[in-house]
Amino acid sequence: MSSILDAPAQTASGSESRRRLGSKIVAMLALIFIALLYLGPLLTVVNVSLKSKQNFNLNPTALATELHIGNFAEAWQRASFPVYITNSILYTGAATLIYAATAVFVAFPISRKYVRGSGFLLTLYVIAMFLPSAMIPQFQMMLHLGLYNTRIGYILLFLVNPMGIIILVNYITSLPRELDEAATMDGCGYPRFVAQVVFPLVKPALASVIVLHAIGVWNDYATALIYLPKKAFMPITRGLMVFYGQYGNDWTTLSAAILMLMIPMVVLFLALQRWIIDGILAGSVRG
Amino acid sequence: MRQGYLYRFGSRGSKFIPYLLLAPGLIFYLVFSLGPSVATAGYSFTDASGLVGSKANWIGLDNYKEFLFMGANVRDNLEITLRTLLFSVIVTVVQTAFGLLAALLLDMRLKLSNFFRTLFFLPVILGATIIGLMWTLFLYPLGGPAQQLLGLFGLRSEFLGGPPSTVFYWIIWIQIWANMGITMIIFLGGLQTVPNELREAARIDGANGWQVFRNVTFPLITPSFNTNVLLEIIGSLQAWQLFLVIKGPTNGLNVLGIWVYALAFGRQSNNPTQAAMRQGYGAAASMVLFVIVLIIGLTSQRLLARRERRILG
Amino acid sequence: MKRKWVIGALVALFALPMMAAAEDVTLELLIHQNQALVDYINAFNPKFEAKYPGIKVNTSVVKADELATSTQTRLTANDVDVIDMFGFAQGIQPYMKKADKPNWQSLIEAGLLLDLSGQSFLKYYDTPTIKDAGSFNGKVYEVNTGRYAFTGVFYNKDLFAKYKVKVPTTWKELVAACDTFKKAGIPAITCGGKDGWPILVAGYGILLSAYPDQAALVKGLWDGSIKWNDAKSLDMWQKMQVLARDLIEPGASGIGSDGAPGRFASGAAAMLAAGSWDASNIEAAKPNFKFGYFPMPGSDNAANNKFIAGKYDVGWVVNAKTEHKDAALKWLAFFSDPGNYQAYVTALGIIPTQPTAKLDTTIGKEIAPYLSTFRLGYELLWVAPKGAGQWAQPNAAFFKPYNQFDDAKKLADQAQADLAAGLKAVQ
Repeated sequence: MSSILDAPAQTASGSESRRRLGSKIVAMLALIFIALLYLGPLLTVVNVSLKSKQNFNLNPTALATELHIGNFAEAWQRASFPVYITNSILYTGAATLIYAATAVFVAFPISRKYVRGSGFLLTLYVIAMFLPSAMIPQFQMMLHLGLYNTRIGYILLFLVNPMGIIILVNYITSLPRELDEAATMDGCGYPRFVAQVVFPLVKPALASVIVLHAIGVWNDYATALIYLPKKAFMPITRGLMVFYGQYGNDWTTLSAAILMLMIPMVVLFLALQRWIIDGILAGSVRG
Repeated sequence: MRQGYLYRFGSRGSKFIPYLLLAPGLIFYLVFSLGPSVATAGYSFTDASGLVGSKANWIGLDNYKEFLFMGANVRDNLEITLRTLLFSVIVTVVQTAFGLLAALLLDMRLKLSNFFRTLFFLPVILGATIIGLMWTLFLYPLGGPAQQLLGLFGLRSEFLGGPPSTVFYWIIWIQIWANMGITMIIFLGGLQTVPNELREAARIDGANGWQVFRNVTFPLITPSFNTNVLLEIIGSLQAWQLFLVIKGPTNGLNVLGIWVYALAFGRQSNNPTQAAMRQGYGAAASMVLFVIVLIIGLTSQRLLARRERRILG
Repeated sequence: MKRKWVIGALVALFALPMMAAAEDVTLELLIHQNQALVDYINAFNPKFEAKYPGIKVNTSVVKADELATSTQTRLTANDVDVIDMFGFAQGIQPYMKKADKPNWQSLIEAGLLLDLSGQSFLKYYDTPTIKDAGSFNGKVYEVNTGRYAFTGVFYNKDLFAKYKVKVPTTWKELVAACDTFKKAGIPAITCGGKDGWPILVAGYGILLSAYPDQAALVKGLWDGSIKWNDAKSLDMWQKMQVLARDLIEPGASGIGSDGAPGRFASGAAAMLAAGSWDASNIEAAKPNFKFGYFPMPGSDNAANNKFIAGKYDVGWVVNAKTEHKDAALKWLAFFSDPGNYQAYVTALGIIPTQPTAKLDTTIGKEIAPYLSTFRLGYELLWVAPKGAGQWAQPNAAFFKPYNQFDDAKKLADQAQADLAAGLKAVQ
């Protein structure tokens, strides 16, 4: 059988493989071109972060000849880096942990239909992306609850992620119900079951959801702009823009700050790549 | 009605436990997200400024009348709405095509594919602030890299300092650049479900690359295509973070998303005395956007689902 | 013995709340980004804290275009005490139908601004300032600290001397001067085009020359006797176009308002179109730099170019609901003390609102001849009718390369049409 299938390929092998090679070269060139589009801005930041101010004003694009490391120290200090980074880590960590803890307890009963109105609840989460912006009533509510300009208030706003719930619900349907039945027969209580059996089993989907949620909190700018006017509470996104607003033309220091922020994120990304990407794929398989 | 036919955990009294454990997550969602979203509608019928201590009065449809019909607001707000739609159309079409192209290229598993994939996806995790600042630097009009590139062709541009019409297209491009990674990954997932044997069989039958794509690959990745298009449409209609970071509310550049913010928090005018918080009015603008998203979103979803059924049965 | 202990304990018990009250009070101050102001406040606060131990001042700085938002949100949330607010402007005139209240009036009516009437430090300020820039319905809510001119142009005295250019007093002379510099390869006028509003402000000089009585202009626009597309206005638009397109250097759109003074001071351009607030930034960028300031000659008739218009700038208001009312008032009093105030005036190059203070710096001397006829600029007086379109403003930045218009007549007609739409809607 294999020889029959091989035959047509062999007779056309000459021009066929040349054609294949040709398209591979074109494809590679295309990839390189796109890569340049992506590397351009990224490398510009790297380059400028190493220039001195005079050098930048003279020729913003020229390759940095001297490695002006001083920019990094200056950015660390002038841009109040430690304050902003600590805040960002706090907000992201707290919000993501609490969300993750509550999310499985929401997704599991909905998926298994252990609560009345599961279908309705699921719909509530699905329509989230269509709803009007909650910005205005949210602001008034936060004011009246005394949560404006507080760290807790800001974190509370990020304990929600409907997309994550939907991903988890989808994933949990793939877990066999026999597990539940086995657990009930062993006399295992519901909370223990979810905490000790379900959580480990949904790790892949949960990991992706956690990572995606964390990225969302870490990169938020608009909500921080509205709710955290106090400099001591600002996350790094606001910190960068405040620095940019005050020292608008100080691109060398600003680039150093951006780079210092980017490097750990890139490193984390490389380490967690699989989960991030799997998470998006899991979410794209809709029910 | 019985509670879930399979629920057998624990004794009678513990039937409430799932509800109890579900409650925190659900309450957060209702209080901080769903509730306020729905309350926006109510807000839109008041003249609330948002200032504590100022009275908010019920004014019925006056906000809508002002937003949609009063004087030159008709033209200005219509312009903002059309601009939002234009933004969404261009971003959706180009980002989908770009993402598909990148996915197809990566699917060929050439050398360094992993590096390319990581690189193209990187902006997704960097976020709007970093990307906005990065591109502002790249497009620095006084001799930045983009300006020097243009200079090679004897051209010059003000880039992000130019007329709003120019800045608009740059923001479109940056938005696409920033989010293409997700589109690409979703397509990659879809491409992996296309059995190689089918593609090979088509080639053996004499189909060239384009025909294989059109008749075999593309139909089979319809689910990914639909997901991407829907995500992009809804996302781009509501997008405003890049606008905020790169330029802030600016006449001639605004889309509905940022206009709602501008009205609600008093940034609709650069004149500090005229820039007043108008949260009732802003809520009305928010509702207008909502209606647009709802109509276009649901319609798209229906059309895409119908196409999927037709193609994949 | 025991009794002494009991009394001692009781005294301590009662003293504890008193001690708690004498604990550190943190006064929250909000100001906008003006480097000279920021530097002065950062130097001033330690002095205040030294005089009043137990009060600490925490300063927040926001960009000028975010000040209105921050003010409103933080007042609403009651987490600010003293705020920098521009002088009260755009009060509703009787002929303005259905006009929106100015923001400061809404704040007052919402009970958010503290009534400062009768405070002792008010006596240091001149009466017109208190009345025009800080009062409403007979009560005082703001203490305004100074005025800036914004219809003038900074010029580089050395470059002017080198190229034998005289300070222009008519439009033709200005254009000719710019030509001289351009031919010599020197950018004529620089401006912070990136932020948009500096170009708008640059055009105000032309507006002033066309309509020296800016209050009458506002009334005329409302009652239709002045139109944005009548002959005088059209001439103004044409000049604004020349300014935006030809006189201000290409590439200005890449320069932020905070970068332009430095650029001018480095000698890179012959002139800088900016408000007098930039004088201190120029001096900071290059001490001993020789510069002057002349009114933008927007008319061919020199007699129309003899005026300068400006605005009331930084003023202090106090949150009515503040828990630190005492501290806030002490801060204002210490600020207003003539000794401190004089230092403030010199540092900011601001036209003083206290009669005893003098602006003896370079910019002060340059503006002095025009002070007696100083008037409020159009933007301080103009209130747009609701429903007026976005083009109903005398904004030089509407022209290319900053926006879409490249035909003065088209813009003139559009501006009038937009204004008319609003006037009609509020009939």
